[in-house]
Amino acid sequence: MPPVSTSLEIPVPSVASCVNLPDTLEATDHELMIAVRAGEVARLGDLFERYQQRLYSFFLRMTNQPTTSEDLVQVVFYRILKYRHTYRDEGKFTAWIYHLARKVAADHFRKNARVPTPADPTDLHAHPDSDPTPDHQATNADDLQLLRVALTRLPIEHREVLVLSRLQNIEQKEIARLLDTTVGAVKVRVHRALKELRGVYFKIRRESAA
Amino acid sequence: MNCQRVQELFVDYQDGTLPLDDAASMRAHLASCPTCQREWSALQELTRKLDELPAEQPSPRLREQFYAMLETHQRDLDAPSPFALARSRLDRFFATLLPDRPALQFAFTLALLVVGLFAGARFLAPGPLTAPADDTARTELAALRAQVDGMGRLVTYSLLQQKSTSERLQSVLATMDLQNPDRKVLSDLVGALAFDPSLNVRLSAVEALALHTDDDLVRAGLLAALPRESAPLVQLAMIELLASAREYGAAPIFEQLSRDENADKNVRDAAKRALATLRTPLPAENQPTNAQSPAPARAKTA
Repeated sequence: MPPVSTSLEIPVPSVASCVNLPDTLEATDHELMIAVRAGEVARLGDLFERYQQRLYSFFLRMTNQPTTSEDLVQVVFYRILKYRHTYRDEGKFTAWIYHLARKVAADHFRKNARVPTPADPTDLHAHPDSDPTPDHQATNADDLQLLRVALTRLPIEHREVLVLSRLQNIEQKEIARLLDTTVGAVKVRVHRALKELRGVYFKIRRESAA
Repeated sequence: MNCQRVQELFVDYQDGTLPLDDAASMRAHLASCPTCQREWSALQELTRKLDELPAEQPSPRLREQFYAMLETHQRDLDAPSPFALARSRLDRFFATLLPDRPALQFAFTLALLVVGLFAGARFLAPGPLTAPADDTARTELAALRAQVDGMGRLVTYSLLQQKSTSERLQSVLATMDLQNPDRKVLSDLVGALAFDPSLNVRLSAVEALALHTDDDLVRAGLLAALPRESAPLVQLAMIELLASAREYGAAPIFEQLSRDENADKNVRDAAKRALATLRTPLPAENQPTNAQSPAPARAKTA
């Protein structure tokens, strides 16, 4: 359940000192980021390899737009470079990168506030109207597509808490810290978001079946 | 346990973070409550579907773009700006010049302070105060007074350029107190009359200029401003002023105004009366002409 373990309980020196590490033991995210901060910019590549997929799926679930999501991942890494001096010694990299990602997403939604979140016709692609006896596989794939659309219909804060807790598997404690709230509040929000998602999901399923 | 409470616990139960006794009472409730059973199975289905969402891979474009960005950034870092280079040299220069141990730095600072104090005491000592001779004092005082007068005038000019209407109005009114305003003040007044956006300021400017109608500049300014003016109140005031000043150059403008269909009726009437005033000979040298006196309105209309 826990994400990539990022916090080994070893005090990490703020100066990059990964040279002595044997090849078999990989540097932690935190060490890598400290090195990046110290000017070894190339080490951001390692962090990119570790996080690009997760960030991409975070943005994809938030926006349901593949190209946009790739751009937003790029923006996150650009901001990491730009603000690398603000990364703190006692920092936790996962928390930091999600903090940046949330901000990037918020900026994106603010900029595109007038455009309703994707009702891209291709998102609701060929549902089995034309096929009177769809096989189980197709129905299932279609259901998942409906679920994706349903997710994007939720208000951003509900969508976000669902994506973080259910799809990115981030602990509620961590989410609470990210959202600057309590664990209890996160639980309530997840509960409401799931309930709402269910309503929206069954609604579009009925609509698309009609 | 009621239904709402039970359903709130679903999430924790799914996550396996629910305390054992809570979990037990939840299961007991679930066994007997069809509503909660429906809720539970719906949630299960939804969660299963969420878990089934495949992890999509970003296209290779993302990786390409990222490494391109990284490379650009690395290059920028490798080639520091000439400014930074110069600064680091400057820093090094001062670093070699100044002591690097804190104690020495402190001593150096103290020494500088002492030297500064001595130098100040030595060179900046005030010279002996000498009482100036009486006549020099008098001339200096006169010069000072002239300077203050000049400054007063300067303040008037600048006030006229002020932004707020009330301030402009105030400065126009202030000119009325000046006994002999110089040409700059008068031309400012004329400028206010012609260009000020506020009706009140223009009206006060007419009033202020009324005291100086014997000045050619003022008359010319009034003549120039009248055709531009569109507010009837200000038009009326200007017409009356020009008529009472017996400005014959204004006759064509009066004529035009008296025929202008677009002008206010009162303005047309006033223009006609003013024309009449200009045509009647001045009865006596110092008798003020009243533009509103019921002179025969011999309008020269076509």
